[in-house]
Order: sequence, then structure tokens, then C-alpha cells
Amino acid sequence: MSPRRTLRIARWEVTRGAGALDRRTAAVLAVVILSCAALAPALVASPPAPGEGVYRVSVAESSPYYAPVAADDQLRAVPPGSEAVAGGRAEVAVAGSAFRVADTEKGRAALADFRSAVAAYNDRRMALDDDPAAAFPVTVDLAYVERGTTPVADGTGGDTTTVADGGATTGMDTTSADATTSDTGRETTTDTAGAPATTLPDAGSGAGVRPTTPGGLSPPFPLESLVLAFAFLLPLNVVIQSYGSSVIDERIGRRGEPLLVSPASRGDIVAGKTLPYLCGAAAITAVIALGVGAGLSAVLAVLPLAGLFLGVTFLGALFARSYKELTFVTVAVSVGLTAYAFVPAVFTEVHPIAAISPLSVVVRDVRGDPVALGGFLLSTVPVGTAAAVCYALGTGVYREEDLFTQKRLPAKALDALAAPLSSVWRVGLWSALLIPFVLVAELFSVAVLFVVPGALAVPALLALVAVIEEGAKSLPAYAGFAGGRFERRDRIAVAVGVASGVGFFLGEKLLLLTRLVGLPDLTVGRAAFGSAELGVGSPALFLAPLALHVAAAVVAALGARRSWGWYAAGLSGAILLHVAYDYAVVVLLG
Amino acid sequence: MDSRLVVARRELASLGREKTIVLALAIQLFVAAFSSFLVVGLVSLYAPGATAGAYVVTVGVAGNASGDLAPVVDAGGARTAIEYENPALARAAFEEGTVDAYVVAERAPSGRTHVDAVAPEGSFETTLVVTQLKDALTDYERQRRAELADRLDRQPLDLPPERGGNPYFGFTYTVLVPVLAFLPAFISGSIAADSVAEELDRGTFELLRVAPLSVADIVDGKALAFVAIAPAQAACWFAFLALNGTPLGHPVAVLGLVAAVSAVLVGAGIATALLAPKRREAQLVYSFGALAAFGAASLLPESPQNVVAKLAIGSPTTVTWLSVAGALALGVAGYAAARVAAARAGGA
Repeated sequence: MSPRRTLRIARWEVTRGAGALDRRTAAVLAVVILSCAALAPALVASPPAPGEGVYRVSVAESSPYYAPVAADDQLRAVPPGSEAVAGGRAEVAVAGSAFRVADTEKGRAALADFRSAVAAYNDRRMALDDDPAAAFPVTVDLAYVERGTTPVADGTGGDTTTVADGGATTGMDTTSADATTSDTGRETTTDTAGAPATTLPDAGSGAGVRPTTPGGLSPPFPLESLVLAFAFLLPLNVVIQSYGSSVIDERIGRRGEPLLVSPASRGDIVAGKTLPYLCGAAAITAVIALGVGAGLSAVLAVLPLAGLFLGVTFLGALFARSYKELTFVTVAVSVGLTAYAFVPAVFTEVHPIAAISPLSVVVRDVRGDPVALGGFLLSTVPVGTAAAVCYALGTGVYREEDLFTQKRLPAKALDALAAPLSSVWRVGLWSALLIPFVLVAELFSVAVLFVVPGALAVPALLALVAVIEEGAKSLPAYAGFAGGRFERRDRIAVAVGVASGVGFFLGEKLLLLTRLVGLPDLTVGRAAFGSAELGVGSPALFLAPLALHVAAAVVAALGARRSWGWYAAGLSGAILLHVAYDYAVVVLLG
Repeated sequence: MDSRLVVARRELASLGREKTIVLALAIQLFVAAFSSFLVVGLVSLYAPGATAGAYVVTVGVAGNASGDLAPVVDAGGARTAIEYENPALARAAFEEGTVDAYVVAERAPSGRTHVDAVAPEGSFETTLVVTQLKDALTDYERQRRAELADRLDRQPLDLPPERGGNPYFGFTYTVLVPVLAFLPAFISGSIAADSVAEELDRGTFELLRVAPLSVADIVDGKALAFVAIAPAQAACWFAFLALNGTPLGHPVAVLGLVAAVSAVLVGAGIATALLAPKRREAQLVYSFGALAAFGAASLLPESPQNVVAKLAIGSPTTVTWLSVAGALALGVAGYAAARVAAARAGGA
């Protein structure tokens, strides 16, 4: 690859993109973007509330319950009437101090909302009372303490807290994450989403301490930081939209052909075309980081994710037959990767599973919490290597015979997989290179399944893991046979299977990354990644997974040798073998 | 056969041949699964009434007000209280894992009780424990307030009774249903823009016009196809939701709204593609335009999401019905405007 050529192509990509914009389109685009920008403050001032007024409460204006209903977003006051609930005009009816509730799901949901609205109203009302001790007779300080930490002697540092009046327990080590309260030296929960009215103006229970009332307690949930982290994902969608168009444009009408006959190598072209978009994404990310108060680690964590967005879009644009298909591909990429990044990050405060998402690094960074190296690696290395593999696959088919043919998307994907398989041992290499995707898929399965009860989650996860791993192992083999790279003979199929199994086994050692963040401590995590963990002790346990991978891969490869139907059968056999093995190891031995 | 129908059929056939519509449904399936996962996950973390009973939180209680507080803690179905003579014993029990959390409640001479609560750090339980502590302490606050009522100049209102509402209920109707209603409309507009941009790019648009078809006919045919598939997808979803025990209040009105929004977006998509014949620019203008339109619509007395939520949950207002009527009118007008603009642009 020559940096000079790459840069020239990058420059050309930028000028072509900007130069092709005719004046009328540019004007329209500017107007549209400006109106988006103009709308933003208005939307921040009155954010859309999709749940506004969905529950109806029949209450007279003279009733004391009218005020709480009027103040609550989801509730709507409707005029009272004898048959308001029975007639379906309201879910809850207030008559004096009696409540009538519709006997439906909706009625119960409305009642629950009504109840919390009245509680919030009471708190606001009490805040006006002259006797704060009677209005808020309970104050709370909440501390998060890790079990098994030995009590620290008083006064060793700012992170110790003293329980008021409880002389015996001094010096608990509060290591929790509410950065906003560190100045008080005491872990007072200041909630991000709750009602500010419940924080006492002046509690007078101790100097320099602002305890909250019970209503002000909130479970650790990094809502604000999550919203900020989400801001990093939105511009990526625009970037891949543009990038996908640019890549597919090379293919429509064979426009990219002159580039291919130029002395520039495929690597130069792909790198040159991608560079401006990656730089653009990095620049936007940096600007957002500056805006939301995140630092370098947030930018470094988002970049591999941007790379994966671009990498998958690149593949999608190479495989898509038409603009329409590309639109579906880009929407699928956005939805899938956004889910992958966003869902685990929701649990940043409560669960180590969050570490798989780059956004959890952003959330921690925004909150000013330390980012551990192990967590950082786990969230960025699989994503980054997956992006690199996407580019390796795409560059392999970035040539005339593949760019300008119209095939179905899966067929093109198989071509891309088959392209680099110049020898049998390369199947092993590609099995290993698919590991990042396996890791991403398995981590996501763990994230999705961890809310399910353990008894159900573990078998479901074992099955999912078997499907993901066997699929990844056998795909290069099938692509090799389907693409005519190998002779369809049993001996070769066995060799391919062995190569794929060994390659996968070696690549699987990457999964040891999960150890760094303590993921295997979870029941579900252990089920998914247990097999990579074993083998530290005896050689038999070390070799067992290798034997499993080879045997299952050979079964699938023998099927792949014949036809699609046989491949499906062979793959099912391999999956069953895998599940049986996992069941034996994880359930019976573990 | 009407030539417009022929164009529409051709578009649908191309979608079917490319299996892209399958991908569209897969995307929506993923969104729905992902939302319901979020519902279960978030709700069980954030408002874990859902897990009540399945997991009992044991709370150690100490301090001079513990005699008062312990019965309140015990009264909740998902928690039990253990009283300790002094805070040190409670802490020791917490360290040993006998209790999930502990509180030290001290009554001051003013009558106010100060509670120091300790919850385990950094585990899935934390949220559950804190929520239970919050419930218990809120109950206790209410009880104490009632005891001190004679010192208050205003009295708190009695709370409505508790009847265990399903915390997923609101989310499904106010978030999931609007997303499933508007996503297909948005995608329809986007692929309408693609379809025209592609015809222009490949030069096939000219071929179509050589055939006895006017630009308006082509626009009609394409629009027919793309406007039709959005409500069809939404209808599939609503049927699916109804099977799962989440029936919609006014399905026909919601589908009408989806059709109207699709008409506007498809018209806009086609107009954009004719205006900016490069796909990249057309898509950028379309995406930002749709974003701006949704943003602007959110400022209406009832936002489109809110209209869908109200119709779906079955509490529409007069404004809701007016919004639906307005959307239908806007759909027809917007599409007609796009068609006129297309005929002018294409004829030139």
C-alpha cells in the first residue's frame, strides 16, 4: 500500500463528494439542516412526551385530587360523572375519598400512576410547610458498600464516611459512583431523573450534609450519561449513509472500473475511500466528547465502533444489488450495532456485563468514574478486530468480477468468504478471524439472556453458543466448497474441518479477555465462556475443547462438501455435538 | 391494466425478488424484540415491582427508632426485617451476608428520624435492594407524618389504593407501538427516494418515460407500492401484538395515520430524489428532512407519537381525532404537491 496514493484517493473522495453537490441541492440541504438545528432548542425546552395524557381520571375540579392529576404528565382529568368508569370514559374515578378503578390492565396501570402522582404532590405540598421536621420526618443517607471490605479507620481519606450517631460503625469504604456527591464526603443519593422537590432545602440535621427524603432515593441508573452516550451514535448513522452511497456508486454503471485499472492497489483504494469518513467520524466524536464533557477515553472507545459501523456498511454496499437493498442494509446495521452498544451500557452501574459495550466506557467517562484497562479492552478489542475483518473480507472481493456482478446478498457474502481461501490451512485462519464476530454475538447473547432466570438462561445460551460457534467455523468451509476453491472429496473435507477446528481453537483463546472483567463470575457468562477457561489444570481438559472443535468442524465440512442440504444437516449434527459436550462440561462437571 | 398498477407491481416484485422486504421485517422484529428486552430488563432493574415475591430482600435494622421502623420494613411482601441491638451487629450481619442491606435509624429530639442506609455495591441486587429500601422508607415516612400530623398546617392527601399495575403496560403503548408504526413509514420514504434515484442513475427513468407513461404515472405507481407496504407491515405488527395480549384501541385509525404519514414521506422521498438525483444527497436531504418534520410535529399540541399512543391505548381526545384528520389531509395534500413538483421537474 502506498500512503501517497491512499491520500490522493482520499482527497479525490472528499472533493468529489463536495463538488458533485449542485447549488440547488446544497441550498436545500443547508435549509433542512438549519431547521433541524433551529428546532433543537425548542425540543429541549419541551421534549416530546409520547405518554402524555394516556390515562384518564374522572375528578371534579373542586376535589383535592384535581391538582395532582393536573400536574402529572400521563394523567388527564376528565369531568366527573356517575358512570365515568363503567362507561369507559375514564380508568379511575375519584368520588370524595373513594376511588373506583376499571378492572383492566389499563385501569391498574392508571391507578399505579395516579398513586405515584399523589405521592409526588404530597411531597411538593409538604415542602411548603413551616415545620420541616414534621413534614419530612425521615431523612436518609444511602451508602453503597462492597461486601468483604475491611472497615477503614476514620479519617484516612475523603472516601470514608461516618454513620451519624452510630458510634460503633465508623469508616465505611464507600466506593460508589455518585460523583456529584463526593464533596459532601458522604454518599447522598442525588438522583438524575427524580423529583428535585424531594431534596430538602435545609434539613438542619448536620453541618454540610444534605440528606434526602425517602422519595429522593433512586436506584443507580445512569440515565443522563446514557442519553449523552447515545449522542455519539446518532452521527454515525449519517456517516454510514453517505459512505454506503459512495461505495455502491463505484459499482452502479461500472463507475469504479477506471480506478481498478489504475496502478493503485485494492488496499489503497479501499483505505483511501474510507479515510475521509473515518476522519469525519473521529472529528464529530471529538466535538461531541467536548460538548458532553467526556474525555479522550470516550473518543478512543467510540472509534472502533465507528470502524465497525463503516466496515459492515462497506460489506453491505459491496453486496447490495440496488440502492433499495443498501437502505435496508444500512438500517439493519444501525439498528443492530446501536442495540449492541446501547443495551449493555444501560447496566453500567449495576452489572459487569456492561463492560462489553464501548458506550459503557463513555458513560463512565461522562460520570467521571475511572475506566479500568480490562474493561476498556473488552469493549473495544472485539469491536475493533471485527471491523478489521470486515475490511479484509471486503477488500478481497474489491475486484472487477465481484464488484459488477448482480448476485443475491448471501451468495455475494459466500464469494467474499471464499475469495481468500487459496489453501486448506487458510480455512483455519478465517475460522480464527471470525472469532471477533463470535465474541460479539456471544457477548450480546449473554447481555440479552442475563435477565432470564438462570435455569432457563443457561440451556438457551448453550444452544445459542453452539449455533454461533459452529456456524462461524463451518461457513468458511462451506464457502470454500461452494466457491469451487476445493475439490469436493472426503479427504479434503476432513482436512478442511481439521484446519477450521484448530484455527478456531487457537482463536478462541481470545475469549480469555473476558477474564479481565470477571465476566465468568456470572452464571450465564460461565456457561458461554467456560470452555475457554478450562484447561489451565490438566492437559486432558486442555485438549478436550480442541478435540470437540475439530470433530464438530469435520462433521460440518463433510456435509458442506456435498450440497446446501447436506451442509445444513452436517451443521445441525455439529451443533448437537457441541451442545452435548457443553452440557457435559458445564452442567455435569461445572 | 392501469399503467400505474403495472409500475407498482414492478416495484413490489423487485422488493420481493431482492428479498429486501424480508430484511425490513427482520429489522422490525429485532426492534420489537430489543424493545421488549429493554422493557423486561429496565423495568426489572428500575421498578422491580415485577420481581416482587420472587426475591425477598432481608434488611437489618438498628438504632433507637428501629422498634418503629422494623414492622414497616416487614410489612412489604418482598422484604423482611431483622432487628439488631446496635449498628455494629447490623454491619457484621451485612458483611456475613445474613442481610442484604441494613439501616440505622436514629430519632432526633425534633421528632425527625435520620436513617443511614447501606446497600451492597455494584451487583444486580443493588437496584432491587435500593428499590425495596425506598418503598419501606416511604411507607415509614408516611406513617411518621401521620403521627406528627398535629404539627402540620397542611395535611397530605391519602394515597389511592395499590393494585399492582403491570409496569410494562405503559411502555408498550407509548414507546413500542409508535416505533412500530413510524419505522415502516420512514423506511418506505427512504426506499422510494432510492428507487427513483436508481432509475435516474441507471438511465432507466428515461426508458420508462419513452413508454407511454407520464412522470406523474411513474410517481403514482411507485408511491402506490411504497405507501401500501408501510400500513401493511404495521398491521402485521398490530395483529402480532394483539395475539400476545396487547390489543390496540383504534387499529383502523392508527393504520390510517400510518398511511398518511407514509404518503407524506414517500412523496417527500420521490420529490427529493428528483430534485437531487444523486442518491447520497437525496438520502441526506430526506433523512434530515424527515427528522426535522418529526421534530416540528412533536411541538404540535399532540405529537404524532402521542397520537398513536392515545389511539392505541384507547384514550383519544378530540385533538387526537383532529390530528388524525389533519394527517390524512396533509398526506393527500403533501403527496399531491410532490406529484405536481415531480411532473414539473420531470417534464422540464
